[in-house]
Amino acid sequence: MKRYDLLTPEGTRDLLFDECLAKRNIQERLRKIFTAYGYSEVLTPGLEFFDVFNGKVHYFPQETMYKLVDGKNRLMVLRPDNTMPIARLAATRLRAEALPLKLYYNQSIFMVNPKNSGRDDEFTQSGIEIIGGEKTAADYEALSLAAQALFACDEDFRLEIGESGIFRTVVDDLNLPEEQAELIHSLIESKNYPALNEALSGVKGDAAEACRALPSLFGESEIFDVACKYMYSPELKEKLNYLHGIYEALCSMGYSGKIRVDLGLAHKKNYYTGILFRGYVEGYGQPVLSGGRYDTLLGDFGRNAAAVGFAVNVEAAAKVYLKRLEAPLMKPSDVLVYSERGCEISGLNHCRELIASGLTVFNSLCGTFDEAAAYAKDHGIHRIDVVGINSEVTVKEV
Amino acid sequence: MINKKIRIALTKGRLENKTVDLLDKIGYDVSELRDKGRRLILSIPGENIEVVLAKAADVITYVEHGVCDIGVVGKDTIMEHGGKFFEISDLGFGRCKFALAGKKGSNFYEGYGVKTVATKYPTVTRNYFENKGMDVDIVKIEGSVELAPLVGLADGIVDIVETGTTLKENGLEVWEDVAPISARLIVNTVSMKLKQERIAEIVKQIEENL
Repeated sequence: MKRYDLLTPEGTRDLLFDECLAKRNIQERLRKIFTAYGYSEVLTPGLEFFDVFNGKVHYFPQETMYKLVDGKNRLMVLRPDNTMPIARLAATRLRAEALPLKLYYNQSIFMVNPKNSGRDDEFTQSGIEIIGGEKTAADYEALSLAAQALFACDEDFRLEIGESGIFRTVVDDLNLPEEQAELIHSLIESKNYPALNEALSGVKGDAAEACRALPSLFGESEIFDVACKYMYSPELKEKLNYLHGIYEALCSMGYSGKIRVDLGLAHKKNYYTGILFRGYVEGYGQPVLSGGRYDTLLGDFGRNAAAVGFAVNVEAAAKVYLKRLEAPLMKPSDVLVYSERGCEISGLNHCRELIASGLTVFNSLCGTFDEAAAYAKDHGIHRIDVVGINSEVTVKEV
Repeated sequence: MINKKIRIALTKGRLENKTVDLLDKIGYDVSELRDKGRRLILSIPGENIEVVLAKAADVITYVEHGVCDIGVVGKDTIMEHGGKFFEISDLGFGRCKFALAGKKGSNFYEGYGVKTVATKYPTVTRNYFENKGMDVDIVKIEGSVELAPLVGLADGIVDIVETGTTLKENGLEVWEDVAPISARLIVNTVSMKLKQERIAEIVKQIEENL
């Protein structure tokens, strides 16, 4: 019989030592930024009712959620997302709270990935949600914090912005049946130029022209000049101008060269309604940060409020951080304490004194001095304090 | 960020030769690629490009994880394995098609019984019949799928058809086309942004020499 008791499920892992420290470091850096800007932490349950994620629009395909049933046979899921539970929270327990609400979270999400894909089924996200507030001001703040969060993960980052409204308007204006519109959506998302041209063959007009151009409209400030030609209505022009304004603002905040724009940014099914953004760092094949504006999601839970937010994939950021490290994060203890037989209490008292003086200690728990010395050598501890009868302490540098 | 190393994953075998010819035509020094021995990582001198040779499905895996920036892989593999990457160019070579085939003269859609389909591509087959709203039993076969309807395991097969000679020689025929196939150029979503200029340059060179 297979010993499943010795394994962790595929897509999950034990994090050890430096891996933990790297993850905690990233979380701590992000927490500092979020709390400095007055965000309050919330924790939501790992288990939620299936219905929370299965509203009017199915943002999460049901086959990607871990499901179980509660004592009353109701369907539950391990949360696949942090934004929706926070929208639920903001629309229910926090409904009387004045806006803007600034919340941050730091907790895991779970998803079923295709097997053997090497992706994490459980990973931690650290992020913020701004609910309410004047939209432009909130967008600026969210993006400024996103840039700071990325900088905390890796100084050489790229923050990419887009507008889900531009894309949606253009596809709507094509007046295609839903199935075909969905196809075009996924082709733009995967920048599949040949298939997109084929899908649009025979479709004429400004919207079709814009649609053909969208996926290739990514880069830096020059994109705005090119894109301008394809914005055929005042509504689209306004959206592009808004994005341009944000781009310039971020550059003026000292991030010039790090900000990119992609007008083809489009997730297939999502709750985003306005600006979208993603963060990239060298050495990780997927975005480490993603977010955007979602003005209708809270309405699904019964509170009409606009919101914007983002999440950092902490595991991904920690992996990149570990890769860049030159020295291990784990530091050996300053002192190893070896107590002779019968002197264990004196040994512990000595530990306490050393700690009070600002040192870190490792109480050896060894039966013989030789074992203790061997442990110290293995673990790079350079001082051994031997505690004997009458609390006598002998210090040995090794 | 200037002139960062670009790693390209090539599908070993039939597509490999055509891709190497293409790189040659661009003017890259492909001597290492032509005379590779048993090496799996090869370089194109003077271009700061590294070429990796892999099985088709692995090309997608390497590109998706971002350890390779660009990949050349057949649409058949993309349809079967899926994944998150940009599929930016149809290279036009390696052309063939997915088709539903079976015994000559028989009608797959006849009767109300659930049909059995043998294939090496269960995902492609499932998607095809799901879109038709039709229940079928799918049997995964590793080798020559043509055998399955002949020995009575399946009513039909979904397979890659190039010339149709194998089908003909075994008394089978194509009933309908499922999807056209050709080699595609895929790019990792993050590389596309972080190494935009260099990748755009390579893609342009490739497209100009098709």
